[in-house]
Amino acid sequence: MRAESEPGRTFLGPPSAKAGLEAPATTIKTIIACITTVDHKQVGIFYGATAFVFFLLGGIEALLIRLQLAVPHNTLVSAQTYNALFTMHGTTMVFLAIMPLNAMFFNYMIPLLIGARDVAFPRLNALSYWIFVAGGIFLNASFLVGAPPDVGWFAYANLTSKQYAPGLAVDFWTLSLLILGVSSVIAAVNFIVTILNMRAPGMTLMRMPVFVWMTLVVQFLIVLAFPPITVGLIFLMFDRFFGTHFYDVAAGGDLHLWQHLFWIFGHPEVYILILPAFGIVSEVLPTFARKPLFGAPVVIYSGVLIGFFGFGVWSHHMFAAGMGPVADAAFSIATMLIAIPTGVKIFNWLATLWGGAIRTTTALHFAVGLVGLFTIGGLSGIMHASPPVDLQQTDSYFVVAHLHYVLIGGSLFGLFAGTYYWWPKMTGRLLGERLGRLHFWVLFAGFNMAFFPQHYLGALGMPRRIYTYPPDVGWSRGNFASTVGAFGIAVGVLLFMLNAWKSLRRGATAPADPWDGRTLEWRTPSPPPVHDFDTIPPVYGRDSFWREKYGRPRPGARDTSGTRSDPPSAGAPSARPGHGEFHLPAPSHWPVVIALGMGLAAVGALTHLAMVLAGALLTVSGVFRLALEHHRTPAYVRQTGELGLDHRKVAMWVFLGSECFFFGTLIATYLAYKGRSVVGPEPHQILDIPVTTISTFDLLVSSLLMVLALAAVQRGDRRQARRWLFGTAFCGLIFLGFQVYEFTHFAHRGLTLQQNLFGSTFFVLTGFHGAHVAIGVLWLLSLWILDLRGRLDVADAVKVEIAGLYWHFVDVVWIAIFTLVYLIP
Amino acid sequence: MTTVVPRSDFARDILHVYAIITWATVGIALVVGITLAWALMRFRDRPGAPPPVQTRGHTALEIAWTIAPALVLLVIALPTIQVIFRTQAAPGPGALEITVLGRQWWWEFRYPTLDVVTANELHVPAGRPVALRLDGPDVIHSFWVPQLGGKRDVVPGRRNRLTFTAEIPGEYRGQCAEFCGTSHANMGMRVIVDASDAFERWVAAQKAVPGESAGLAAEGKAIFTRSACVGCHTIRGVSTGALGPDLTTFGSRRTLAAGMLPNTVDVVTAWLKNPPALKPGAKMPPLGLTDDQARAVATYLTSLK
Repeated sequence: MRAESEPGRTFLGPPSAKAGLEAPATTIKTIIACITTVDHKQVGIFYGATAFVFFLLGGIEALLIRLQLAVPHNTLVSAQTYNALFTMHGTTMVFLAIMPLNAMFFNYMIPLLIGARDVAFPRLNALSYWIFVAGGIFLNASFLVGAPPDVGWFAYANLTSKQYAPGLAVDFWTLSLLILGVSSVIAAVNFIVTILNMRAPGMTLMRMPVFVWMTLVVQFLIVLAFPPITVGLIFLMFDRFFGTHFYDVAAGGDLHLWQHLFWIFGHPEVYILILPAFGIVSEVLPTFARKPLFGAPVVIYSGVLIGFFGFGVWSHHMFAAGMGPVADAAFSIATMLIAIPTGVKIFNWLATLWGGAIRTTTALHFAVGLVGLFTIGGLSGIMHASPPVDLQQTDSYFVVAHLHYVLIGGSLFGLFAGTYYWWPKMTGRLLGERLGRLHFWVLFAGFNMAFFPQHYLGALGMPRRIYTYPPDVGWSRGNFASTVGAFGIAVGVLLFMLNAWKSLRRGATAPADPWDGRTLEWRTPSPPPVHDFDTIPPVYGRDSFWREKYGRPRPGARDTSGTRSDPPSAGAPSARPGHGEFHLPAPSHWPVVIALGMGLAAVGALTHLAMVLAGALLTVSGVFRLALEHHRTPAYVRQTGELGLDHRKVAMWVFLGSECFFFGTLIATYLAYKGRSVVGPEPHQILDIPVTTISTFDLLVSSLLMVLALAAVQRGDRRQARRWLFGTAFCGLIFLGFQVYEFTHFAHRGLTLQQNLFGSTFFVLTGFHGAHVAIGVLWLLSLWILDLRGRLDVADAVKVEIAGLYWHFVDVVWIAIFTLVYLIP
Repeated sequence: MTTVVPRSDFARDILHVYAIITWATVGIALVVGITLAWALMRFRDRPGAPPPVQTRGHTALEIAWTIAPALVLLVIALPTIQVIFRTQAAPGPGALEITVLGRQWWWEFRYPTLDVVTANELHVPAGRPVALRLDGPDVIHSFWVPQLGGKRDVVPGRRNRLTFTAEIPGEYRGQCAEFCGTSHANMGMRVIVDASDAFERWVAAQKAVPGESAGLAAEGKAIFTRSACVGCHTIRGVSTGALGPDLTTFGSRRTLAAGMLPNTVDVVTAWLKNPPALKPGAKMPPLGLTDDQARAVATYLTSLK
């Protein structure tokens, strides 16, 4: 066991039971181990525990809301406090509870379900977690300074402008959402690469468990949906901090812009919240019905379709906003269409149960509960899909009922199903079944009592987000019942906490396969060893483990004794360096440093510029150290998966996908706002096309030089590599020089960020592009310096390749900007 | 504020679609619920029994339960599209134009063709199309009077439209339905649907210049004219402030503070002494009036019919 000679640990042969033994743990060592862990299982548990704390916080906010509304004209909390409560409740539950609780299962279970030993980028995984912690703490720090956000969780402009929300509250909200978005997108890239690249041999995409499929769809949704809201938040931040006019009606801005940007994110977001629960149900029902998921391919395709069409329905949140009848009709039809694949899933779940041999475990209770409650929530959603009806229901308690049926009845019940299902695997203990069923029924009863009456309250005209109501409108009884139900939910959650505590203290030990499961995670001990699988498991088809246990494995692949085995039908022989040897990723403290830097920068944005710079410096240096930490570690050189693609290349392609949506949103805003400036100067008066043509040409040349640089690195020609790398960076610097010249020239001629709408859209669009160029230049110069020091050779070509991909992308974006902004009048 | 007792063509059209969808969704819920319950009861595991038949799927079934919901949605979609276009059609030439300005946290109503300006209580004639043009100088609000139709957002910079024909005279409650800040919950309104002759009388009363006041009301008027009130409020013939509601016929309204409080001398007195205490965040500040002064002004204002 060569444990000490290099970072990380590499094992030869099946590790003995002593493999994980280290010096006795002290408190300091434990803390350091927690802060530096990159093990997907530990990161998963951290996500779960942290998210649960935020869930309780959001729950307390909900109980205060319900107490205030229990009787008319109540005075428990002031109007301001109430407005902050519902804002923080929504924001917390969506971003700090449900999403990271889903992430707990992504982190812990995805590698196990696909027969891998960790995720593709373990340190990025830890980074996502710590950035989430930074964002969550930052958001709630607003309470400590008496400025909790109070503009609603979707914060419509222009209520969020400096004029109508002068304090720090909206800034807390904006900055924390930006931070949380970074966390989610990094994690999404990680999981996409993991799922595509690290499946065990023989596990084709269609043989993956449905939970893995739903996770894959969710990660694509995150990668593509977060850029629009990031842009919307940037616009809001710039309006508030720098005086731009994106949401300024007097300057020609359109308040619908915020709504479109928010909901282009917001609608895929609800699928991000629910699809994992759908995936969990698709695992739990077959396991406890002892039958395969009925129509598994159809369930998979439905999930993909829902993800795809989920990007086409966002304006059903805007039916009252006055978009006009054509837009209303189009989004109405699209929304109704998306109900079809959802319904198909529900029918397939029913058919899974039908004819089965159902074991009514607690996990099954929650999965069945989801099927029933999500059906109700989905049906009220169909009502909302019709604009005439929605014009009565939207912004009333009817939609509050709808969203809680799908989010609690759907997402939360799914999460509890997953918890009862996977708890044994994660902790090595069983949760109590009797207490679990009590938990279910109390939660079920409390939830329905809390939210079913709200359909009626909405039908009786009760708007949402009101801190009180009069006694003579007939809303009193429904509100009181709803409050009682809310406390029922609280009791249910407490029962779960009791169950969890009892289980961890003295619960029954769980075997590897307590449920007679169908998928690969049950093939390893409970909890799994640090390396997950002693040997990568064989894959016999969908429900691989079931086939292994009960027959119909592929011919020749019999071996289940734990030694090496290769299913002959796996296609090309495994590209992995031997099944008997594997590498465990080493812990790293850079993720926590980077997250700290981001938090510091955010605090600085609200206090002192010096802190912004300090935080940025910490972040950037942390990123550099993270990137170079294993530059020379042999085990990190080759990161190729089963498809023959390098993890880092796949990751860059996925990231560039998100960048497409980022720049696409910026460009679309520029075009939408074209001609709407109230004062000059206007584009044709100030844009210098000849000069910009030269700088464009310069950027194109830089791409050519980049191609030459990569070719040189790949053939080991270090001198040429240095020349062309420097040349590319130099061309980039020239481009930036042109841009600095242009910006200062425009400022002298009266065009600034604050001058008019054109100034706002132009400078933000080209400024962010320039920032991307600057980052590229830094990246290339870093590679150049590495080469100077003799630390860049042929094996590092992939690092230059991904820098090249990024660089070419930035160039292509510039071509689009040059065409649409400069050339087209 | 019920949404299911329509009193206008708009509300009635909505209810028609609402009913179709409700029946369809209740039907689907029953199908799913009964199937679920049946499966749970009938297909239980028995110890020692072999695993059940490992059915993987059934193509015909998949096709069937893809087409069936699509058909149900078609039944919902057709009337939906019809009603969308019918209710958003341009109002005819005979419609009464009213401009609705949503402000934090009250409603201003202007009748451009009648030269009437009022606040928080909207009078419309029964049986005649009313074309609302929605705008606002501050943030997004939403105009919602459920019995007279669906809601429409008041979006500064975009002149949204809402058209309806009220059918039955009566008083209808409305409320702002887009979160707009501290007192969003207190931004209600009353819509009074008048028979046409009653409406004519109301218009005439709105346009009349208030007569002389007497007694306590006269004292109140004197206090009003020398206080900051005139900077924000218009009373025809007395003042021309434009930041707050027009008070020319304040006394004729049934409520004050945007449908929040009953319009009596006592309540108005309390309001005048400290508006934000009654309506959180109200932009009307306490004016430093004594009890007597406040009562005098309240008497004056409630006398303005």
